[in-house]
Amino acid sequence: MNSVDTIQSWLVNQIATQLKIGPETIKVTEPLTRYGLDSIDSVTIVGDMEDWLDAELPSTLLWDYPTIAKAAQYLVDEVGVSPEETATPQPAAASQAKAEAPAGKGWGGLWNKISGS
Amino acid sequence: MQQLKQFWVAEALEKDLGDPGNPNSMMSFKQVMDLDEKEEFPDEIIDWLYNWKLQHYYIPTECGGEFTGFDEFISFVRVLSRRDQTAGIAFTTMFWSYLVWMAGTEEQKQNLASFMKDNNGTMCLAYSEKAHGSDLLGGDMKATKVEGGYLMTGEKWPINRATRSGVSFVLAQTDPAGGPRSLSLFMVEKSKIDPAKYSNLPKILTHGIRGSDMSGIKFDHCFIPDAMRLGAEGTGLELALKGFQITRALCAAFSQGAADTALRTTLKFALGRKLYGKTVFDMPQPRRTLTDAFLDILICDCCTYGVGRGFSTVPEQISAWSAVVKYFVTTTLETVVNNVSVVLGSRFYMREAHDWGIFQKVLRDNAIISMFDGSSIVNLHALLLQLRQLTKSRARNAGKNLEALSTRLSTTFDLTQTLPAFDGKKLELVNRGGDDVLQGLELAIASLEKLKSDSNLNPDTLYQIITFTEIMREELNSLDVEITESTFQFGHEQEPEFFDMARKYCVLHAAAACVYTWIYNRNHLGEFFANGEWLALSLRRLMLNLKPAKALPGRIDDSGVTQEMIRLYNEDRMFSIVPFQLAKSQLEETSTDASPKLQLQT
Ligand SMILES: Cc1cc2nc3c(=O)[nH]c(=O)nc-3n(C[C@H](O)[C@H](O)[C@H](O)COP(=O)(O)OP(=O)(O)OC[C@H]3O[C@@H](n4cnc5c(N)ncnc54)[C@H](O)[C@@H]3O)c2cc1C
Repeated sequence: MNSVDTIQSWLVNQIATQLKIGPETIKVTEPLTRYGLDSIDSVTIVGDMEDWLDAELPSTLLWDYPTIAKAAQYLVDEVGVSPEETATPQPAAASQAKAEAPAGKGWGGLWNKISGS
Repeated sequence: MQQLKQFWVAEALEKDLGDPGNPNSMMSFKQVMDLDEKEEFPDEIIDWLYNWKLQHYYIPTECGGEFTGFDEFISFVRVLSRRDQTAGIAFTTMFWSYLVWMAGTEEQKQNLASFMKDNNGTMCLAYSEKAHGSDLLGGDMKATKVEGGYLMTGEKWPINRATRSGVSFVLAQTDPAGGPRSLSLFMVEKSKIDPAKYSNLPKILTHGIRGSDMSGIKFDHCFIPDAMRLGAEGTGLELALKGFQITRALCAAFSQGAADTALRTTLKFALGRKLYGKTVFDMPQPRRTLTDAFLDILICDCCTYGVGRGFSTVPEQISAWSAVVKYFVTTTLETVVNNVSVVLGSRFYMREAHDWGIFQKVLRDNAIISMFDGSSIVNLHALLLQLRQLTKSRARNAGKNLEALSTRLSTTFDLTQTLPAFDGKKLELVNRGGDDVLQGLELAIASLEKLKSDSNLNPDTLYQIITFTEIMREELNSLDVEITESTFQFGHEQEPEFFDMARKYCVLHAAAACVYTWIYNRNHLGEFFANGEWLALSLRRLMLNLKPAKALPGRIDDSGVTQEMIRLYNEDRMFSIVPFQLAKSQLEETSTDASPKLQLQT
């Protein structure tokens, strides 16, 4: 997978999980608001992307590039991220102490995946 | 005079306004009660404040005004608000000018500054709509692009000062496709638009702030030139949310003024009223209630001055800090007013009996502060969406860059330090880099440990402060685990449990703010402040929110705190960590208001 594809599939999975919808129902060319992603949510999601990509991104990224395709393209072309190289697991943070969160639901499950625990 | 410069304006304003207990002074309790009874706008007061040139302190120096820092601002808003929240809020709608100082062009800044300074001009913030309330993106106000500007159509309601304002900051949809970039913000100068194309809605009758100009504004295909748009098209929501970070934090000052009067007038009653051969104040239970109210005010003080100064030192963190303060300070002080009402007894419900009935006006007026400019729930929501990132940054930053963190904390909390100028462009929609206040707990504990060698400190008091700070750290760690384990979703259907987590976060942030305020100001805020009993007692009060009393060290003797409260009352000083001088109360009073200035009998 090239960088754009990797970012796209990360975003698709992320959003599908958050919104509890099937990833196959998300089209990368549709505006994200169409899936019920709120304006402030799309600011919050950038925080998770920053952790994943280990890069500082504009918090209004998904306001200015409101589809998954546009956002991914921007990240690769303008910001120059290449997720394969940078997608190292984050330090496990406060998560050592936690039990497994219900898999696949909400931020808890997501955090498990990101932190590799 | 106060040594700390940021309190000079507040003291000067107090002096010139005079004793609120004297019916002849400006903003006296009698005057503001009369206006309230008649539901009349406080024109005379507002004119007086303009003539005093208070509006200059809302305009940054680089735009030709006198504003230098938010701690100064907070102090003089407390002065207005302790006399009358109706007038205080009416005058202070000017703080929305920050939208222009932040995002305006040079010309817009000059326009607004001269409108405020030379024309006694005022503004209003027109965001809410009847059908959409807190849902800003759901609004129906449209601004359709035409040659040279926009045609604006729609209605904003309920809006404070909508009718009397010369400038309305209106949020309107410029992109019919919707989405977070669909809104733009306009600085609508009424004198420059067609009066046939807009109108004001009738006054809304309210429970409190009765004299306010509460109304609304309606546009019908009204031409708004491009020059009245603030920032680029599509940046309205972003600007609105950043502007709220400022105004929400500053709302705390309204509540603090109100709490001061609620406590002061109740103390006056408790010290003068005799029952069973003694005063009400001599009874332990009422005395405890009043002392606890004083402690709550000190706690809120630490949070409010913390965020006020934090704007200059850590603007990128303020999205979290301002939500904490808007929620915590306003609701805590609302509770203070309610708690002391019990001591005032039946008089709390009377409109004439004691100090012209100012207490029941405070109760009514103050009830709106936690609701407007983003309700408590909306602020907790804004915070809870950030909790996971805050927890992650705390883990990521643990033990790193401690020197820089310590410098930032000392600049923020040490009231003697000069602040860098505030730069609104540095505000962020969501917190960047974590929350210094909670990040620094380890540093705080280390500093507290070092104080063990300070022979001026009572070891029991210090022991309590350290123990409570360690409890805070434990509670924070378990909150971090709770947050990390949580499975919350995006959107507005958050579980009530997440609101509880956000509430706990606020309590911990507030407690930590108290600890730093003490650590960094021990050498310059006087003996009472330095001995730290107030802090030990305050931290215990805060931790009671998180743990049952049994699990905490016992309450230390609070008579020193009670004595300080009485001293501030007798000397007409603000109930505050910086008890600046208020207007001196006059001794001649009516017989029903008689209140001998007592010394505490201990
Ligand atoms: C005295 C006064 C002065 C005002 N001044 C102004 C002014 O100058 N300018 C201006 O624009 N507006 C002003 N307002 C309007 C005020 O900002 C709105 O009333 C406020 O935004 C709430 O809207 P609403 O009352 O329609 O409640 P709604 O937004 O309809 O809320 C209804 C309910 O939903 C809950 N709720 C809302 N959002 C959330 C969430 N995210 N999570 C969970 N629960 C939620 C609320 O807690 C509440 O229980 C003023 C209001 C008053 C009373």
